[in-house]
Amino acid sequence: MPTLLRVEIANMLQYRAEIALWAAWGIVSPAVLMSVWTAAASASKNPGHIGSLSTGEMLAYFLMTMIVGHLCTAWDIYEMGWRVRTGRLSPELLRPILPIWEAFAANTAYKLVTMIMLVPIWGVIALIVRPTFHTTPRDAGLAGAALMMAWLLNFVWGYAIGCLAFFFTKMDSVGELWFGASLFFGGRMAPIELLPKQLRVISDLLPFRWIMAYPSELLAGQLTPSRAASGLLWQMGWLVVGIVVFRLMWTAGLKRYSAVGA
Amino acid sequence: MPQIQVSELCKTFRVPEREGGLRAALGSVFRRKFKNVVAVDRVNFSVEAGEIVGFLGPNGAGKTTTLKMLSGLLHPTGGVADVMGHVPWKREASYLQRISMLMGQRTQLNWDLPAMDSFLVHAAIYQLEEAPFQETLNELVELLELGPLLKKQVRTLSLGERMKCELCSALLHRPAVLFLDEPTIGVDITMQARIRKFIGEYNRRFGATIILTSHYMADVTALCRRIILIDHGKILFDGPLPELSARLAPYKVVTIDLTRDLEGFDFGPYGELTSRQERKLTLRMPKDTVAAATGRLLAELPVLDLSISDPPIEDVIERMYHESRERANAAQPAQQTTAAGAAT
Repeated sequence: MPTLLRVEIANMLQYRAEIALWAAWGIVSPAVLMSVWTAAASASKNPGHIGSLSTGEMLAYFLMTMIVGHLCTAWDIYEMGWRVRTGRLSPELLRPILPIWEAFAANTAYKLVTMIMLVPIWGVIALIVRPTFHTTPRDAGLAGAALMMAWLLNFVWGYAIGCLAFFFTKMDSVGELWFGASLFFGGRMAPIELLPKQLRVISDLLPFRWIMAYPSELLAGQLTPSRAASGLLWQMGWLVVGIVVFRLMWTAGLKRYSAVGA
Repeated sequence: MPQIQVSELCKTFRVPEREGGLRAALGSVFRRKFKNVVAVDRVNFSVEAGEIVGFLGPNGAGKTTTLKMLSGLLHPTGGVADVMGHVPWKREASYLQRISMLMGQRTQLNWDLPAMDSFLVHAAIYQLEEAPFQETLNELVELLELGPLLKKQVRTLSLGERMKCELCSALLHRPAVLFLDEPTIGVDITMQARIRKFIGEYNRRFGATIILTSHYMADVTALCRRIILIDHGKILFDGPLPELSARLAPYKVVTIDLTRDLEGFDFGPYGELTSRQERKLTLRMPKDTVAAATGRLLAELPVLDLSISDPPIEDVIERMYHESRERANAAQPAQQTTAAGAAT
């Protein structure tokens, strides 16, 4: 793995500008939502608040979605579609290692390379917007595990869904569907707290919340101790299910693979 | 015991099919039609350890599909295969570690990095120890004259240079079985010869078993004592190259240079005139009449030079394909492709 990671980092550094632009794009959406929700809070019946969240808490939440969103990002749904459709997966299948490990190395390399650029930007944004955190040492202690689990969850589920490429070939729309669902049920557009009750129940039952909203709320200190602990269990459960789904999809998909091209 | 044993191997692809045009495109939204294409049809063969076998056939004959099944890329529709005690499509790591497949039109190297980086990844994936890896690498770099290429970004290499790097990458873990799919495609004649020589050398030094597909007969005649001819997914011939010539071409090609024109002369009594370029003529003669006919030619005609050769192997193989297609056309077309009807 260290060699794979080293080479993937070298690969990322080959196209520095493109990688930097992708990383910068991850800042835009949460930054826009910060200003939209700040404006909404100032115009609400209870100025400076939306629901139970103050403007500062809202800003803390979206700042954390910016960070969590970057740390958890995965692109294998699109990538698998391209690899299967063009037969680019074939050379990887000839090696005595599951291609998912190479994808994981690339994903890790992207995070490591872009963090150098993003950490100062996140710091500057935090200084400008002055978010309100209620993070306890206990929350901070759990956050490391929650972030790691969120990353693995999004990666494993992305790769498992990406295996649909063996059946559908073109995966762009599936990728958009997954991303669209994560916007609402993952709490990217609005904190889950502000969703109608029925949608909150649905979001509890889907993996998106545990990838994005849960670690963001934990880092912002917006969860009760029991909610903070149970979130980790939900993450573990979804990860186990994701790994099982990946194994099933991979095995079934390889039987369908037509290895197009030479 | 053979190193590769293939029995009744089949592969059928289900492919969507429709007429061109908007109407057909709209129709296919509601009623998609599929066709079953038989790419490999109950193929049987075995290969002994250390053999180099030429796997030949026209485009779409089923040779690459067969190699893809043997390398574990494709699951067969039917039949069995055993390669070094493994079922290829189970894709066990212990199997993949002992084989290599080189696809002439598909790169295994990282396009954006120097070839050396891809070699390092290869060593890590195949868990090669530092000392043997370096030893093999040095050896391959020397044999393939790769020294100046190692630091160059792969996408900046010429096709021939890239193929040499691909070969190096495919052999770093010293595979016991090597599947080479068009290893010389697109490269110039000098490079073809160099790659050919290298493949032969690798086979001799390490006793590797090699199955090679190529459209270049020079690759096959230089490397393979045995060939397997495949067309429409079926094996047409499996045996030594000279046997194929003997079976299909029981004639010799006699080329003569005349000292003067013999316009309108009837060469029928000597053999079949197949080409004529000014005073240079080519005749086809049954093997059993060559000695007598050439004797008469020399005695009776103003011959400046005469040479006798076997017919080109390309012609022999083409004749086999031609006969196979004639047989296939005579049979039911449904045996080749079967309409599967409408599906979702």
